[in-house]
Amino acid sequence: MSQFISKKGLLSWLDKLAENHSLVAPTRVEGSILFRKIDSTEDIVFNFSNTNLSPKEFFLPPSETIFSVEKKDGQMNLIPEVIEGQTVIFGLRPCDAKGLATLDLPYLEEPGDALYSQHRNKTTLVGLSCLSACPECFCTSMGTGPDDPSNLDIILTEVEDGYIVQILNEKGKALLPEELLVMKDVATPPAPFVSPVPSRGITDKMRQAFDNPYWSRLADRCIHCNICSYICPTCYCFDVRDYTNKGRIDRVRSWESCQSPGFTKIAGGYDPRPDKGPRLRQRFAHKLIYFPEIFGTMHCTGCGRCVKTCPVNIDIREIIQDIQKLRSGKNA
Amino acid sequence: MNPSEEIAKKAKELLQSKAVECFIGYQRATDGMTARPLFAHAPEEADRLIFDQTCTHNLVKYLLNHKGKATGIAVKPCDSRAINLLLIEHQIERKNVFIIGVVCPGMVETSWNKTSEKVKDICKLCQQHTPVIYDFLVGEPGPEPQAEAYPDVAKLEALSPAERREFWEKHFSRCIRCYACRQVCPGCYCGECFVERLDPLWVGIRIAPSENEMWNSMRAFHLSGRCIGCNQCERVCPVNIPLSLLNRKLEKEALELFKFRAGIDAETPAPFATFKKDEKIGIGE
Repeated sequence: MSQFISKKGLLSWLDKLAENHSLVAPTRVEGSILFRKIDSTEDIVFNFSNTNLSPKEFFLPPSETIFSVEKKDGQMNLIPEVIEGQTVIFGLRPCDAKGLATLDLPYLEEPGDALYSQHRNKTTLVGLSCLSACPECFCTSMGTGPDDPSNLDIILTEVEDGYIVQILNEKGKALLPEELLVMKDVATPPAPFVSPVPSRGITDKMRQAFDNPYWSRLADRCIHCNICSYICPTCYCFDVRDYTNKGRIDRVRSWESCQSPGFTKIAGGYDPRPDKGPRLRQRFAHKLIYFPEIFGTMHCTGCGRCVKTCPVNIDIREIIQDIQKLRSGKNA
Repeated sequence: MNPSEEIAKKAKELLQSKAVECFIGYQRATDGMTARPLFAHAPEEADRLIFDQTCTHNLVKYLLNHKGKATGIAVKPCDSRAINLLLIEHQIERKNVFIIGVVCPGMVETSWNKTSEKVKDICKLCQQHTPVIYDFLVGEPGPEPQAEAYPDVAKLEALSPAERREFWEKHFSRCIRCYACRQVCPGCYCGECFVERLDPLWVGIRIAPSENEMWNSMRAFHLSGRCIGCNQCERVCPVNIPLSLLNRKLEKEALELFKFRAGIDAETPAPFATFKKDEKIGIGE
């Protein structure tokens, strides 16, 4: 027996939620599927593999004012940013929930990032299990899976006429009243097979391959745009600038990427990482060496967005395979 | 021989005789159906070269990473115009580049793990099916259509200014400023892009509608009379902004005002890099 909600029941629950929450769900925008705040459940896309951009943008927005400083009556006042209202994200995949759990590690570590914590505390995550695997994804090799309920507040699994509901914690319980659910004898569909990548031992192998010419050869192809970082559910670098306007200063942060040619440029114009090879290696070294060594988990969820979207097919699955095959040493 | 074999054979010869240090062409991508760039440094690597209607990339941008080195490259006709652009702007030297030009049947709609038989809309409007510059030609040149056609731009021009504004605002609001359009563009090679200048600060770092609009429109102006129409900006955009439409509008303006199409040859001076005292173009006089 499983807890069950009919499709109709789900829609009316979501409609009700939208009255006092900001309801964010996958919706169709000019040929893309994106998470957007929606006004009507009619706009929700249910039949999708995954969204083009990750839900990261609701926790670490592309641009956000961190705080402001205002001069008033001869005094300088610091105005902290306050995130208003409650948000529900509906329809995120288990890999993207794992992405948030990964972002939590650097962002909630004491002292936690004030804005990120607020977004996180004020958002409830209602996930959707994957019933089929995308050709580009490899989540089971990165510590999650198509039906992984961890990191979500509620997970729904589509079955005939509705969804099997698993309420996973108090936050989930508070959002979805039990009286909307019925007990039903319905079998949970099997999780789809996800093609694995040989991720075991990759951190050591990556260290050994650090000076390998592999990276420069691979970087021949890279155009050093920021697509991979910006669509990634776990990349979290940002740049900071002050916007001044008549005695008021807004300190703004915006997404930035290690792949961007000016990323490591410092005062005086010196760039410690000027070459394409080390620049490209940085992305994979962060994901597969530095982050796991510091936080104990890969900085990748296997969502496959970068594989799918890279304009020149820099494919992390292929890189992991290639690195595993390299013999150690400089010219291996 | 099919185009793939012809290109592979010639590239292998070039690498074997050390006429080039590297040959830039296409190979199959990891989805097994689309294409990706290949950099062959050794003759045996040239065996992986392919050419078919999924080879949508313009590889000419990569020549800027191989300055001063003998490099071979496979180009489609639109890509070949980028070579002329870079020659006339003194970014590359003709003697360093061996060009394999491929007569182009038009590229098909592709995306990750998907190909189709449907020729891209932009390719259906193409006026140039034979490369404009090459050392070795693959394929048989055929007749070209006679008149430039801009049905897509005409549709945009038919909108009222308010509607056009709404159209672009809607699209630019989605921009995430990943700069993939710039990074892939053969015409965007400034050592420091205006968008990254701090002093003067032309555009702030915010990824927000006003800054996005500034970024996209200023980039378009920098390409007016220079865009060679390879459609790479639109191909790579992760949020499907119709960037080619913007560039084609400016291309049409340059054509009407100056009878100029960028990259058709490497001799005709570019309109915005030229001052002619007696020139009358019917505006601002």
